[in-house]
Amino acid sequence: MTLELSRLTGEVQTMGEALAARERRRADLVALARRWLAEYADQGERLRHPARTASAAIPTDEPLDAVHPLPAIPERFTVIAADGSQIQPDRHGVALYHLINVGSMVYRHGSGEAPEAYSQPAMGYTEADLYEDGLLVAGNLLDVRRDLAEITRLADLSAVEAPGPTGSVRPGRTVALVDGTLILWVLENRSEEWKREKVMAYLDQLRRIRKSGAAVAAFTSRPRRGEVTKLLYLASVNGDENRASQETNPLEHLPDRAIFHDLPAGARSALFISPSSINHDYYVPAGHGVYFFYLNLAEKEHDPVIARIEAPAWVVAAPELLASIHGAVVAQARITGDYPYALTRADELAYVSGREREALTEMVTTALLRAGVRSAPSPKAYYKSLTRRGRRKYPQ
Amino acid sequence: MSNGSLRVGRVLRAGTRGFVIGCTVMQPDIPTFGSFVRADGLKPGSAIFGLIYDVSVEDDPFVRQFISADPPEEVLRDQRENRQVPIEVSVLAVGTSQGLGDETIRHCLPAQPPVTLDWLYQCTTEEIQAFTARFDYFRLVLDAREVPVDELLAASLRVAAVARPEGERETFLVEAGRDLVRLLAGDPVRLEGLLRRLRNL
Repeated sequence: MTLELSRLTGEVQTMGEALAARERRRADLVALARRWLAEYADQGERLRHPARTASAAIPTDEPLDAVHPLPAIPERFTVIAADGSQIQPDRHGVALYHLINVGSMVYRHGSGEAPEAYSQPAMGYTEADLYEDGLLVAGNLLDVRRDLAEITRLADLSAVEAPGPTGSVRPGRTVALVDGTLILWVLENRSEEWKREKVMAYLDQLRRIRKSGAAVAAFTSRPRRGEVTKLLYLASVNGDENRASQETNPLEHLPDRAIFHDLPAGARSALFISPSSINHDYYVPAGHGVYFFYLNLAEKEHDPVIARIEAPAWVVAAPELLASIHGAVVAQARITGDYPYALTRADELAYVSGREREALTEMVTTALLRAGVRSAPSPKAYYKSLTRRGRRKYPQ
Repeated sequence: MSNGSLRVGRVLRAGTRGFVIGCTVMQPDIPTFGSFVRADGLKPGSAIFGLIYDVSVEDDPFVRQFISADPPEEVLRDQRENRQVPIEVSVLAVGTSQGLGDETIRHCLPAQPPVTLDWLYQCTTEEIQAFTARFDYFRLVLDAREVPVDELLAASLRVAAVARPEGERETFLVEAGRDLVRLLAGDPVRLEGLLRRLRNL
């Protein structure tokens, strides 16, 4: 072992005590946040503009402290989930390529049928696949491609599964679920034109899902965002953005979910609009403006499990669609206890294990050999593969 | 050689002495202990023959989640029909054929193992008959380590006997018994145990 755990014993103990103390202080902050939530519950309209400027959660017409109980969950409905994983191109590897693997599942509640499970790998190895805008497709560029592949898969499955405008194919509504966020995360240093092209491609898929008649939502487990806490602080300084930016926000490191731990089992919070600039620059004008709410997935008399759910404007504007994502997410999460079953399975179907990566490398090496190309990992990669598997000893 | 034979699974790990393949739970006819299987060799048309000596189901923490719960029918069916439950089938290499017009089966270890993720196939009746026309593979099985050798020999002979017309089975087993007598003459207790197993086939 090169990590000397014995040298960390004292530090880990101190860390434990510090975290425990922070938890105790956090209880006071949660009480303050909840007091503000009740106190400024009806000031949404007044706070809307400054919230946008301050990148805080943007209030809707609902009171900030609104609580919506779990709607009746229908017997029959369908949940489609998609998730992706990738292998980054490795310039030290036997060949330069990337891989995106999208796992997806169609789960028909109340049908008694086996869900449909899919895994779709796609390799990129041509010049056109590997380079974009003069850059190697890796990091955020590959993340964007993976996100697009996920939402495209959801749109494809929704087109097959959802009732559509012409009539019902399957009984009940269809809810399409993606893990994380609906807002395509594109690095700021990309050109405006490139960013627009990618976001528009994503919005195109949201449009396809809408056309299919399905509802769509994104699910975040244990969310860490602090947009509602920022809004509450803004409210406490009378919506004065300048003051809010100059003074210290006591709730700065408190995640929103801490405030909503008191939601009743299955209930959701008020709706808010995401303050993300991409949301306002692209999603809102296209009619897909992203809203979010917090949701307690737990059953009665169980510890609360708070998730963040995002949905586009056309879902939250239709009460039956909004109720369908609320009910579907809770029903799905309660199968496992606290996370949607179909998303767990989509993740599993997308996941590429270390052993599979090695096997793929071996396949690529063999294919190159059969084609008459001798290839090998770089010396750096080769020696790493030796030292990271073998015996290790830290210096005395 | 990859004709219409039943696919067992894909090669996960391989060596010249044997290999491990992964397959899913719902493979219609997972070959059983003692079955003859075949993987493609690296040379076109060549093949590696083996005997299945172990089938194991790995622990699955996700399934544990549901053991004390009452999951919906859809989940039960998903777990049983769709999950990539890691079933590992271990194979002992016992023979090869060179291909390229030379279909002779040799009872020896392959020069090279099969390639990872290549398919493993269940041998056809004809292949089993051809492979067990001689019993030189007995020595490879008897020398194998960490393999239930005697049970494996008996099980493979049971499979090979069933692959023959009923009227030829007894003669086949008597011939196999004679070879075992020659190989295990120095170990009468073990030999008796094996011959008793053959009598009970």
